[in-house]
Amino acid sequence: MALEHKVRGVDHAAFPTFDPAGTVRFYRDVLGFPVVHSICAAGWGPENHPDFIHFFFDIGNDDRIAFFYYFGLEPQHTHERGDAYAGFGPEVPEFFVRSRHLAIHVDDEADLLEYRRRLDESTWPVEMQIQHETIESIYTHDPNGYMVEFTRAMRPVTPQEDLDANLTIDALLDVVAEPDPSFGKLLARKAELIVERAADWEAAQV
Amino acid sequence: MTALYVLDVPENTTVAKVAAEAGATVGKVGPYFEITSDGSIVIDRRATGCRHAVWYSCIAGVAGGRIVQHDKNALQVDPA
Repeated sequence: MALEHKVRGVDHAAFPTFDPAGTVRFYRDVLGFPVVHSICAAGWGPENHPDFIHFFFDIGNDDRIAFFYYFGLEPQHTHERGDAYAGFGPEVPEFFVRSRHLAIHVDDEADLLEYRRRLDESTWPVEMQIQHETIESIYTHDPNGYMVEFTRAMRPVTPQEDLDANLTIDALLDVVAEPDPSFGKLLARKAELIVERAADWEAAQV
Repeated sequence: MTALYVLDVPENTTVAKVAAEAGATVGKVGPYFEITSDGSIVIDRRATGCRHAVWYSCIAGVAGGRIVQHDKNALQVDPA
């Protein structure tokens, strides 16, 4: 029995910044995201917490991206690669550094290209525009080094893709429970799950 | 027998079509194409017209065989 799904999206995702001026320029002035909330807080507590400003931008759907600016705090790492939160040495592969990012949804190609236009006219032009499997995305890095993606669906998600996603996850849990998980083992386990379940799933779709 | 499973979504239909043209048998199991052969299954990427992101994520499952090639030119699954 599935648990009732009661959550309502992202209230806010929060990140530290050492460049509040650039951050406001990027999100409010270049992208046009309204400032919707901010907190001016004096530092308190046992950890010598600095005074800080916690400020929020609307990213659509009443969801928000938020930043912490701490007065007097120096950057917490000296790596050239990475972002305000985390730095990476040359030994860390680029795909890993780029794996953590925020993707913001837009309705269609026209809206995607509108944000591309806004970014391309700014200090933070689009670095990549890519058609993935069923979505198209543009990417840039904000003034803090955080990777930001805008993405649109090229078609609606079909019901069979939800089945496929669930079979993938069940197969993944099976193969990571055993030694030496691999892509080949996942595809073999998933083939078994397809044979077991896919016909019944389709019969139930009426 | 080797079986290759591919989800039936618009991006993947040419994968099954090209496999059939290359001699494999194409059936269905629920919403999946079941591409089977007693020998190797070979699919030419350019013939499918799939862009890379689609091509490299089109395989849902492999039974009774193993992938020996999956690059920009072709996908080949040989009997185990």
